[in-house]
Amino acid sequence: MKQFFQNKRKLRGFREFLYILPFLALVAVFSYYPLYGWVYAFFDYKPPFPLSMDQFVGFKWFKSMVDTPVKTIQLLKVLRNTFAMSGLSLLFSWFPMIFAVFLNEIKCVPFKKFVQTVTTLPNFISWVLVYSIAYCLLNSTGVVNSVMMSLGLIDSPQLFLQSSEHVWLKMWVWLTWKNAGWSAIMYIAAITGIDDELNEAARVDGASRMQIIWHITIPSILPTYFVLVMLSLANFLSNGMEQYFVFANAFNKESIEVLDLYVYNLAMGSGGYSLSTAISILKSVVSVLLLCCTNGFSKLVRGEGFI
Amino acid sequence: MKGKKLLSILLASAMLTGALAGCGGSDAPAAPEGQQKEEQTDTAKEEAPAQEETSSDDAQEKAPAASDKELLSLEVYDVAANYQGVQTGWFDKVIKDRFNLELNIIAPQVAGDAVFQTRASTGNLGDILILEKEDFADCVSAGLVKDISADIGNYSNLMTYKEQIDVFNNGLPGNDAGITWGIPTQMTNTSPTTYSQEEIYSSPLLRWDLYKELGYPEIADLDGLLDVLEQMMKAHPTNETGDPAYPFSLWADWDGGDGMLGIANVVQLTTWYGEKIKGSAILKPDNTFIPLTDKAGTYYKLLKFLNNAQRRGLVDPDSGTQDWNAACAKMSAGQVYLMWYSWQTGFWNSQERLKNGNAFSFVPVADQSYYTDSDTYYGTARVFAVGSQVDDEKYARIMEFLDWYAGPEGLTFQHCGIEDFTYTVGDDGKFTQINDNALMDNLPVPEEWGGAGYQDGNNAINQWLVDAISTNPNTGEPYSVRYWTSYKEATMTEMKKEWQELYSADNPVEYMTKNNILLVSPNVSVTLPSDSNDISVIRNQCNDTICDYSWRMIFAKDDAEFDSMWDEMSAQMDGFGFQDLYNFDVERYQIEVDAKLEASK
Repeated sequence: MKQFFQNKRKLRGFREFLYILPFLALVAVFSYYPLYGWVYAFFDYKPPFPLSMDQFVGFKWFKSMVDTPVKTIQLLKVLRNTFAMSGLSLLFSWFPMIFAVFLNEIKCVPFKKFVQTVTTLPNFISWVLVYSIAYCLLNSTGVVNSVMMSLGLIDSPQLFLQSSEHVWLKMWVWLTWKNAGWSAIMYIAAITGIDDELNEAARVDGASRMQIIWHITIPSILPTYFVLVMLSLANFLSNGMEQYFVFANAFNKESIEVLDLYVYNLAMGSGGYSLSTAISILKSVVSVLLLCCTNGFSKLVRGEGFI
Repeated sequence: MKGKKLLSILLASAMLTGALAGCGGSDAPAAPEGQQKEEQTDTAKEEAPAQEETSSDDAQEKAPAASDKELLSLEVYDVAANYQGVQTGWFDKVIKDRFNLELNIIAPQVAGDAVFQTRASTGNLGDILILEKEDFADCVSAGLVKDISADIGNYSNLMTYKEQIDVFNNGLPGNDAGITWGIPTQMTNTSPTTYSQEEIYSSPLLRWDLYKELGYPEIADLDGLLDVLEQMMKAHPTNETGDPAYPFSLWADWDGGDGMLGIANVVQLTTWYGEKIKGSAILKPDNTFIPLTDKAGTYYKLLKFLNNAQRRGLVDPDSGTQDWNAACAKMSAGQVYLMWYSWQTGFWNSQERLKNGNAFSFVPVADQSYYTDSDTYYGTARVFAVGSQVDDEKYARIMEFLDWYAGPEGLTFQHCGIEDFTYTVGDDGKFTQINDNALMDNLPVPEEWGGAGYQDGNNAINQWLVDAISTNPNTGEPYSVRYWTSYKEATMTEMKKEWQELYSADNPVEYMTKNNILLVSPNVSVTLPSDSNDISVIRNQCNDTICDYSWRMIFAKDDAEFDSMWDEMSAQMDGFGFQDLYNFDVERYQIEVDAKLEASK
């Protein structure tokens, strides 16, 4: 022991270990300990009775997900929605970046600040409120219908929220409206970090604004973009449920029910805890696989991974 | 300076958003507590208020005794509550003055069902428990409930209902020893086969002025009802302020509740044809069951009725996307011409409208015969109990409180409100209602009763041991304001006289009884087995399927589309295991049916 404290290197190592200990503890408590909850997937768990070995059912709940064609179809439908809506966000993930670039080009500072504030604000509104705004705007006597009717564009109210068409696209629009300004902040920070000398040199060389954007701004913030895309890929399957939960109704459910919402409906509806745990386990497994794939892909293309 | 600017921009944007959203917005009155629960009889709703039958001197005498004891906070795990937190306002003052107790309400309706699971796993659900019967039986076997057999005999108010309490506890599965575990809710002191109300829970209710305008046409069947409603809508396409009005305005957020599969706006209507939905099965008047998906059943019939209404343009186009609050705002604004819950009229029928004759009233449809559950003599589907972890001192004070809660003084507070604020006592000892809008408009309560709004301070437990239809021994009249002589006199309006003349009966129930179109199902005390995990998953998936399809069927374009959706729905439900669910439900509810047959002998 005495020797240990006398060895300065070891002592330093120990001290540095203590520095990260709180964070390790946090990760252990909030990320690893909850994995213990996975056991519920292998039991026939029913509150208020505590778990006991005679409720052990093995893989029953995993099998029951696909034991009739109807159930399989439903699971596939849910996966399709999840992939479609996550895919759509991924496909348009460049949008906040371009938005940030153009925002940066605005020379009138008050206007720039105004646009930035207005686009960032929706991020702080909860989805429940977003839906009540949507309901007030889009219901049969709402602003949109009233304006369109008085302009003579339509002769009877359109049921926008009840329509089952273009649901994925509409959900993407709402999501972008809510998130674009907020996501742009990261890129604005990255743009601020670009060395001014580069811009000045380009301008001296006679580059136009578009050329500066294309050859200097975008390449400089591309690494930020890639990191964010890869992080979002890991969350491909967890595209949140609040948005879909508030916008879901009997008419659009076919296209709006994503994996998280499905798990929630199953568990909270009448306590299908075991089955929904089983589904979330599968979700975690697929997410880990996706993350590994993206990492491999990144190594292949850029020569470096991120884990 | 910069900060100020930013702040003003933020505020301006918030205002803009608010202003936009305000267009066509609705400030809906909150649903009267717990009204989505069908077990709760209608009386309790609008007029929940109550008073104290003993004089306030009496109350002050008791107060010193209570203050000897320390302030004790009780956790009330309460499935009936739709408020979570500490009881405040006048009801808090009432129990603090008497017992120095504070109620901390834990409401799974607010906190989510997961709170049941987490609390149950700690072995302590709460100090006072209010549970659904089926869960209650499970909680007893999981050791979460205290045995109160030894002490309940000492509490005279509770002992008034000894028969009901014993019948309930002896009926608990596995309770051969006859231990007293719980106390049923909303018991009455009438009888298990009596029906004391003047209106049944669900029947077609029309705006009397509009019906009168059409010359009281006789209505033969559901199509006839749609004809009448269509004429009403043609004559009055908007309410007085010019907002569009529809006979039907539906809402989707109560679907699948009350142990009935299907959408809330249809399941209630099945009682118009003497059929009652029990889980996934329909109980026919001859006490046999058919599956909910049977096209000969009333679920199909009434869903079709709503579809026909929609095709005729009688259904509010926002029905599929609005929630109860939005629908309720329309009811209060006179934008709805058909109601079907007896308590629903509370959002429109004020004393003034009853006088003006433009209130809602029951109008019979010739081919209908109605189903109703009798007085809840043995109680409803919920149970009061004491948590297993309470210590002796707490236990004694809980029992004392529950005894008061079931006694005339407690009940008067629960059902009638505050003396000289919501009612006055006449020389003959009978009550007269005052401030009838106390609950609706949240009137400020006098300082001596703790101040704050009346609704804010109303009893947040939201569940009564004794029903409001029970007779108050101090007045000889029921606790429910609708049955006070003074109230009946005040509401004997022209409209009511017209109604009585037209149908030669005093009230809807008398009319139904006279014409032999009322089926009263006796109240029995049975505890049915709870769902296994497999059944609960099937129930959940089948319910989602039937609700989603039902909404789409209401908006179907023609019969062919309607029927093809129905077939698709049945096939999908079969894939989720509907047959197993149906068999389970038939077996389960047969226990209840047998008990009812026994009771009506």
